[in-house]
Amino acid sequence: MNEMTSGHTVKAFTEELDSINQLVIELGELGLDQLRRAVQTLMDEDTKEAGLVIDRDRELNEIDIKADEEIIRLIAKRQPVAKDLRDILTVQKIITDLERVGDEARKIANLTIHFYDNGKPPPSNEILRDIYDMATFVDDMLNKSLQAFVKVDLKIALDVIEQEKRLFDEFRGSLRRLSTFLMEDSRSVGHVVDIVLALRALERIGGHAKNIGGHVIFLITGKDVRHENLSAIYSEVADLA
Amino acid sequence: MNNNLQQQHDRTMVRVQQGLDRRYRQEKRFQRIGLGAIILGLVFVSFLFISIIANGYTAFQQTYVKIDVNFDPEMIAPIGETDQEVLSKANYGGLVKKTLRDMFPEVTNRREKKVLYSLVSTGASFQLRDMVMQDPALIGTQQSVWVLADDDVDMLIKGHIDLNVPESDRRIKNNQMAWIQSLQAEDRIEKRFNTIFFSAGDSREPELSGIKGAVHGSFFTLMICLLISFPVGVAAAVYLEEFAPKNRWTDIIEVNINNLAAVPSIVFGLLGLAVFINFFGLPRSVPLVGGLVLALMTLPTIIIASRAALKSVPPSIREAALGVGASPMQTITHHVLPLAMPGMLTGTIIGMAQALGETAPLLMIGMVAFIVDIPGGPFDPSAVLPVQIYLWADSPERAFVERTSAAIMVLLAFLISMNLLAVWLRKKFERRW
Amino acid sequence: MEEFVNESGVVTKPLNPEAATEVDMQASYEQHGSGTVGEIYVDDPRMTCRNVNVYYGEKQAIFDVNLDIGKNQVISMIGPSGCGKSTFLRCLNRMNDTIDVCRVTGQIKMDDQDIYDGGLDVVPLRASVGMVFQKPNPFPKSIYDNIAYGPRIHGLSDNAKHLDEIVESSLTRAGLWEEVKDRMDQPGTGLSGGQQQRLCIARAIAVSPEVILMDEPCSALDPIATAKIEELIDELRENYTIAIVTHSMQQAARVSQRTAYFHLGKLIEVGETDQIFTNPRHKLTEDYITGRFG
Repeated sequence: MNEMTSGHTVKAFTEELDSINQLVIELGELGLDQLRRAVQTLMDEDTKEAGLVIDRDRELNEIDIKADEEIIRLIAKRQPVAKDLRDILTVQKIITDLERVGDEARKIANLTIHFYDNGKPPPSNEILRDIYDMATFVDDMLNKSLQAFVKVDLKIALDVIEQEKRLFDEFRGSLRRLSTFLMEDSRSVGHVVDIVLALRALERIGGHAKNIGGHVIFLITGKDVRHENLSAIYSEVADLA
Repeated sequence: MNNNLQQQHDRTMVRVQQGLDRRYRQEKRFQRIGLGAIILGLVFVSFLFISIIANGYTAFQQTYVKIDVNFDPEMIAPIGETDQEVLSKANYGGLVKKTLRDMFPEVTNRREKKVLYSLVSTGASFQLRDMVMQDPALIGTQQSVWVLADDDVDMLIKGHIDLNVPESDRRIKNNQMAWIQSLQAEDRIEKRFNTIFFSAGDSREPELSGIKGAVHGSFFTLMICLLISFPVGVAAAVYLEEFAPKNRWTDIIEVNINNLAAVPSIVFGLLGLAVFINFFGLPRSVPLVGGLVLALMTLPTIIIASRAALKSVPPSIREAALGVGASPMQTITHHVLPLAMPGMLTGTIIGMAQALGETAPLLMIGMVAFIVDIPGGPFDPSAVLPVQIYLWADSPERAFVERTSAAIMVLLAFLISMNLLAVWLRKKFERRW
Repeated sequence: MEEFVNESGVVTKPLNPEAATEVDMQASYEQHGSGTVGEIYVDDPRMTCRNVNVYYGEKQAIFDVNLDIGKNQVISMIGPSGCGKSTFLRCLNRMNDTIDVCRVTGQIKMDDQDIYDGGLDVVPLRASVGMVFQKPNPFPKSIYDNIAYGPRIHGLSDNAKHLDEIVESSLTRAGLWEEVKDRMDQPGTGLSGGQQQRLCIARAIAVSPEVILMDEPCSALDPIATAKIEELIDELRENYTIAIVTHSMQQAARVSQRTAYFHLGKLIEVGETDQIFTNPRHKLTEDYITGRFG
């Protein structure tokens, strides 16, 4: 598939590595799709579709379990070292992150049902705008992080990590805007709390995208950058980028 | 694609089945040819053994005649002396003749008497002399003594003389037949185990000849050969295998050693004659020179076998010894040589067996002489077993034919036991690692 | 790997161009004259090798190897067949001397004595640098004599009792004493493969060496026996410096603290085993340990 997996004398090894990498891509696409559809249900006020999104989360969980099994089998059979080992560990971590992305998407879909299926008045479009903005931003991050993995691209991975900082600022800004709604109309408190939770879910998805970027950096450089600040990451990978 | 492969496979199986019978037939034919060759070889070997044994087994028995000797003091010691000198010089031949005359008083004719005397061996008189000298008290008594029969009588008793041949062509005449029959009637003729064959040297008289001289000669020759060729051969092999640098000179030496092993043995005899006898002035016909010549001949065999034995010691043993800090010399003396020794000994024994059966080079250095005395050391002239066989095979007497075969049997027994010793050594000391 | 290397481990064609650019790319890492990536020096070396070249006749088998072997460390040498790792190992106790055409240049020092220019004679050298070979090669003698041979030829024991003690302690250290103490007079060749190899290790220990060289010590053994030897190597590390050549990368990863990767007679990369097996710096090393050589 890419330079990470190819070239083994034992071709089956390459194929097995490819297949778990393929699972990442599959799961990544599914997760991204879930995110988009969940947000779309909110836009369309489509509770039926929201139910489908929730049901579909089971697929993601299945892929997660399947990937774990494949990884255990591969480690036992091939005893991977060096970049193969890093590849497998990275895949496992990315899979976990993507599965969580699915969980967060499910939360947003739940929100759709909660808003439009309980007979209460739905929230105004104005109040929901923050969700759409943030969703677009997070969508881009997750997409990039998956690109970074597929292309084994350090630069994209670093971009994603940088974006996460702006995401946090965005989240803070949204919270401030929501507080103004509260001040205007204290009855909207129920909606605001729900929306904050949705924003929180989106923020978590961004966090997972950042994690994936970190995993890709580990995959490429062999350095664990998850718990370091940006400047430290840059100095560590500078001579490799 | 798969279908294609399946078709190919089916076709292959058909072809294989078609050719199968032919393959097995070829295999069977090959096996039969091999088996036939082995059977042919066995037939020849058993033919050889059977003919030798059939010819020779009778030589291990010898005919004796009982005669009643009157130890007449008149004939032995006329004045009653018992001095050994006098006793040994007495006319025992006459005594034997007189005894025979007394036993067959009807024989008066001078020519017939002579024939009568030839019934017993000339060795009979020595036997009487020995008896008297051992026990002078015998003088004046009458004794029944078993004495050696003449070889012709021996042959007759053993049935080797064809009585259908006209008397003139026969070694045993009719009158002798009559006497022998009368002796047999009186139980005066008997076959006994032939101790003389093993305890006497060569002789013109078949009944008095034995292989002891030749066995001793062979023994001394082989000892000299072993003493020289084994240490020299082993030393040369160790040097060539372990120390010598691998270059063109050692290659030439190696080729020459291999060539030497193929040089006809008579050439070594000529070499020995020129070097040891003509140049160094060593005596002819002695085991010393024979041993030296055979040592030259055996050396290549021993060197080649010893080198093979050294080569077969696994390098891991050398590495192990060097690895704990043994010097090259210690490695060889402590480890390599002990492990190679069985192989070296096997090669040496095979070489010795070859030397034991060798005749041609010994002919060149004069070991073919007729020697009656049993050699007491490597400096006494002597014959060796194969030369003895050659000499006897040349003799006209019928009795020597069976002695030739008997000597061959003894030689073969030695050769087989030496080879068995080699096999046993190899089995016993063979190490696995 | 056959296409790169011939039987005698000699380069038949230059490193492939990809690999060459890879070396350039790695230029920002520590670079030595020999082009070795990684840390060739250690703080407390037992043996130091500088600019070691080995020639078999006209052909060069080892190119300019610089390497320190640290005290009480296990260093493993890995690489494809014919890469020169065994040849290099055998330089360390001059086992190559037995090969007529073999010539060694450069400097190999053991505790500041050059082992090649007469600073240390070969007999004391081999007493202080013991060797264990690929195939267990006990002498076809009794177990006792196998161990006692080294001390005997070097005159290490004062009396028979002392020799007994040396034998017992060597076998104990090799973890074999309990298994063989009742049959010391039986031939060493009658033991199982793993026991034979531990007997050979005990034989090497018996002359109290400082360094033990092991040339693929487990390649003829089953996994259980291999595990025992590996455990033994780990225990021996406390008192000895060990250099091990192995074809099993897992073994190198398990037993050694440092790993050196050889390729076509060159020392490509050396470093902490942990680093080599998780994040090798040189592409050749990575390709080899991940099974990408074809």
